[in-house]
Amino acid sequence: MNTNLKISNVTKIYPGCVANDNVSLEFNSGKIYALLGENGAGKSTLVKILSGVIIPDEGKIYLNENNLKLNSPSDAKKNDIGMVFQHFNLFETLSVFENLIIDSDEQRESLREKIDTIMKKYNFSIDLDIPVLNLSAGQKQKVEIIRCLIRSPKVLIMDEPTSVLTEQETSELFLSLKKFSEEGILIIYITHKLKEVMQLCDEVAVMRRGKLVSVSEIKNENIESLANKMVGQNLKTIKKKKTKTSSDQLIKIMNLNFTSEDPFETNLMDINFSVNRGECLGIAGISGNGQSELFQVLSGEIISEKNSIEFNNNYIGDLNPQERREYLMAFSPEDRLEQAAIPQMKIFENVALNNFKSSNFFNNGLINENKIKEHSKKIISDFNVNTDNIELKSQFLSGGNLQKLIIGRELITSPNLLICFNPTWGLDVGAINYIHETLIKINEQNKSIILISTDTDELLKLSDKISVIHKGKLSKIMNAEEVTPEKLGILMGGAN
Amino acid sequence: MIIDINFIGLIIASIMASAVPLILASCGELITERSGVLNLGVEGMMIIGAISGFALMTVTGSLIIAVFGAMLAGVLISTIFAFLTQTLITNHVATGLALTIFGIGISAMIGKNFVGIPGKEFPVLFEGLKDTIPLLGPILFGHSIVFYFAFSLPFITSYFLKKTKIGLIVRAVGDSPESASNQGINVRLVRYACILYGGAMSGLAGAYLSMIYTPQWIENMTGGRGWIALALVVFSTWNPIKILIGAMIFGGLTIIQFHMQAIGVRIPVQFLTALPYIVTIIVLVVISRDSRKIRLSTPSSLGKSFHKDN
Repeated sequence: MNTNLKISNVTKIYPGCVANDNVSLEFNSGKIYALLGENGAGKSTLVKILSGVIIPDEGKIYLNENNLKLNSPSDAKKNDIGMVFQHFNLFETLSVFENLIIDSDEQRESLREKIDTIMKKYNFSIDLDIPVLNLSAGQKQKVEIIRCLIRSPKVLIMDEPTSVLTEQETSELFLSLKKFSEEGILIIYITHKLKEVMQLCDEVAVMRRGKLVSVSEIKNENIESLANKMVGQNLKTIKKKKTKTSSDQLIKIMNLNFTSEDPFETNLMDINFSVNRGECLGIAGISGNGQSELFQVLSGEIISEKNSIEFNNNYIGDLNPQERREYLMAFSPEDRLEQAAIPQMKIFENVALNNFKSSNFFNNGLINENKIKEHSKKIISDFNVNTDNIELKSQFLSGGNLQKLIIGRELITSPNLLICFNPTWGLDVGAINYIHETLIKINEQNKSIILISTDTDELLKLSDKISVIHKGKLSKIMNAEEVTPEKLGILMGGAN
Repeated sequence: MIIDINFIGLIIASIMASAVPLILASCGELITERSGVLNLGVEGMMIIGAISGFALMTVTGSLIIAVFGAMLAGVLISTIFAFLTQTLITNHVATGLALTIFGIGISAMIGKNFVGIPGKEFPVLFEGLKDTIPLLGPILFGHSIVFYFAFSLPFITSYFLKKTKIGLIVRAVGDSPESASNQGINVRLVRYACILYGGAMSGLAGAYLSMIYTPQWIENMTGGRGWIALALVVFSTWNPIKILIGAMIFGGLTIIQFHMQAIGVRIPVQFLTALPYIVTIIVLVVISRDSRKIRLSTPSSLGKSFHKDN
């Protein structure tokens, strides 16, 4: 049976921002549709409207000519619209089966049979009786998909589904999605990754700043044309000039181990590597394999043995982050609003948090506000932070601007080594480009970077050497030219 | 020396009786906390239950009206808490503390007219069977209906949480209210219900104190039992069966230290009085050490306000 889904003149306005501006779209089953746009383009708002999470201010939704009233997620479910959210909607402490039965009206036994049939059909293999928190991200996503499939949906919406998956898991997902589509499920695929759109989809709708920019068939598009539509301007592609790397060693990690008391953290086992001046070492891996522990050990949030880290001929394993900064190391943690900056504090106050003995931010215990403000203004202008109000609370900065501020704060003292963890996570293409350019510039100044990232493209673009972290162990360090995304994917999955 | 075996039975029975209010209040609070709500007002709800039960009994003369009235009083005062924390999104901790202070104050005010009035005898069940079995007779028989209810409650609670759909929904809401809401579960409704249930059980626990355990009204008669009930919930890692164990240890040590004081054991009284608190917490910490299990049974959203934005 054919499914036709129509979005008609949908508008949703938030204070200070039009999330969806008079959007109209039509979808038919048998095809896979991409909804493409940068962060904040309004695509998530649109699919949340389709799944009943958000109620639009204006506009109507029609499924097979029937006007749907979607006032809650259960309305969407009743109307056979299934949605897999970007951030999983699973209950971590409940078992897989409990997660699945919670919104089902079926008896335990018949539901179990149904789930088994679905898993066999699509080659999923998941233990139904273990708690969800023990699953990998890919498995969690499969649980979400099964949850939708139980209800035999007519429409399946996937919101940025590959952000947490490995290459292999991604291609498995694509196979499943194509199968669903052949079986008559209408698939709407939300993403900002152009490669995936080209690989998977039949038609693409591009959104920008809440407005629908274009609807076209994939065969008439290519990556550049889509990128330009998405960003609204011609993007220059940046590329790192491969310079010959020096052999002057800057940091060396020797036999570093970390055993966590929290069983849900990853233990680090026998970490050994070194980084030369002017070099960028990329550390790839699926999130949750020890990256955040490694970052914390390197930054001094977790203190290790003195001799395990040698930096610029000093043993610094037992120093805290402040002390390490005095040796000219700099850190940019993953979570901008939780770890790197304090959201309720003003921009210049956040700048002052990173103070050095030499920076003279404090005189006899009193804050030297003029000095800090002057310093903050310099960061804002040097690093293109799009605001001129240093009194602004940092929570009101966009992700991109906040990241520029943080990187700027770290770099203004010209450190010898910058350690960053997912520096472009969740940023839009413009900001990503800026951050990448900045990182390349650091290397050109003969300074070093350790880049821990879950974004394979980013690592291949910026790194001179790459290693993969899996279950707390590092793979051997490879030259970036020898590495392909496929090879990284295999290592990230734990194979040798 | 020959110890009368029935005397031991009686001591165990009195230990169990002193555990009853803790079990009732803890099991109620456990459901509240499992839904992600931290209600620190247990002490306040208990004392309101205690005065309401006693006052209704004195005024109406009906024990049934008194018991259910006390539960209703617990529900009413917890409705204030639910309205504040769920509808007006106030801070759980501050609101709960205010509830306790409010409860103690208002109960003292109402209670002024009831000080010194003798209570009524509360009917007990299976009185005749008490002497039929040695040791077990006095333990099993001759108690009030509330007593039997309290000792079945941990098992009912455990079954409810693990095996029923509604129990699953309560745990889901406590784990992630955002996900639950996206699944179409009415988070606010579930939390209201859990808070009100917790209020009813605290009210019943209070009524047990003023109507059955020591049938009279004394100002501040809950004497910190509400706080112990709260501690039991946390240190049992939200496990109703461990609450039962903890309440028995606490009740047991309270009774035994009374006897030790009576015999005149040469240990400072202050230490003996503190003993139940210390030992209960140590035992519960030791039996709940498995950090994996703690992670699995701790409601992840405990004490965090959930505000559904549109």
